[in-house]
Amino acid sequence: MMMAAVSLLITVLVYIMAQKIYRYKPIMFLSPLIVTPVVLIVLLALTRTSYADYNTGAHWLSDMLGPATIAFAIPLSRHFELIKKHAAQIIISVLTGSAAAVASSLWLAKGLGLNDKIIYSLIPHSATTPIAMNVSQSIGGIPTITAVAVMVTGIFGSLVGPPIIRLFRIRNEVARGILLGTSAHGAGTSKAFELGSISGTVSSVSMILTAIITLFLTPLLLGH
Amino acid sequence: MRYAVKLIIQVLFFIVFSWLMNHMVEWLHLPVPGSILGMLILFILLQAKIIPRKFVESGSDWLIATMLLFFIPPAVGIIGYKQLIMSAGVQIALVITLGTVIVMLCSGLVAQRVAKRKEESSI
Repeated sequence: MMMAAVSLLITVLVYIMAQKIYRYKPIMFLSPLIVTPVVLIVLLALTRTSYADYNTGAHWLSDMLGPATIAFAIPLSRHFELIKKHAAQIIISVLTGSAAAVASSLWLAKGLGLNDKIIYSLIPHSATTPIAMNVSQSIGGIPTITAVAVMVTGIFGSLVGPPIIRLFRIRNEVARGILLGTSAHGAGTSKAFELGSISGTVSSVSMILTAIITLFLTPLLLGH
Repeated sequence: MRYAVKLIIQVLFFIVFSWLMNHMVEWLHLPVPGSILGMLILFILLQAKIIPRKFVESGSDWLIATMLLFFIPPAVGIIGYKQLIMSAGVQIALVITLGTVIVMLCSGLVAQRVAKRKEESSI
């Protein structure tokens, strides 16, 4: 009980401090999404605490991912007219992106000589965690490795998304949302809402579409 | 103070709703996660005006703004994969990072091009 309360509290405190630091020095490597896990991992190692013990309290936070995902329904309803207006653009781009996700991870993983189990675990990494784990299971991957890959994808995507948007001059707000939601699921969507509510909403739609497409398209593409 | 109470009640609503959806998915053996089903059902309830948007708006804004914090504990979970990271960590990181950039460029550039074409045709 004590352990649970402490790990929950420390996670929140380290995150808040990391946010303060990031506000002073907004460079990518000081992002709270990198600093917080690193500090916590060091703390766990120093205090010889196992992840299972840490997670007795910390899982209260990850359990909030479900409610937070449901919360995307509100901006979805707020901007429904806009989504309908851009439906074709969203569907075409997300389909392209999701197919690229499956193909690129398959080819990259094969080219780098990873074994089949790891390859199958990495293929659905752009989709949201529960869907990605589900797909991984059904094509012969290891779902827990997939969960870690999805996690890393989300963090990496929300960090490099904005620089890529600048570099490639993606000025269209709908396109920005599609880019973040298709590549980096909920974490990308959360970042998209920082860019603006239109990008955020389109990103949530793209995230859902990516999940659905990955669920049905991956077994087809792999011929399973 | 009143805002804090309102916020807590609304966030609690999302927690209970999410719990219900997870159970429903289990009972009905649906192939979608409870959170995605929950998003769609809540969306329908909002569109049908069965739930007024302002009853859930503050809770939703707070949850979305705080969402990145909820990703921290699973990220710390990486420590459980020391062996795998030692043996294939670099390759896995390359697949994830290069793959993610490729997805961003494919989806983002296609979307940008479609948007431009639409603008041009409407002039």
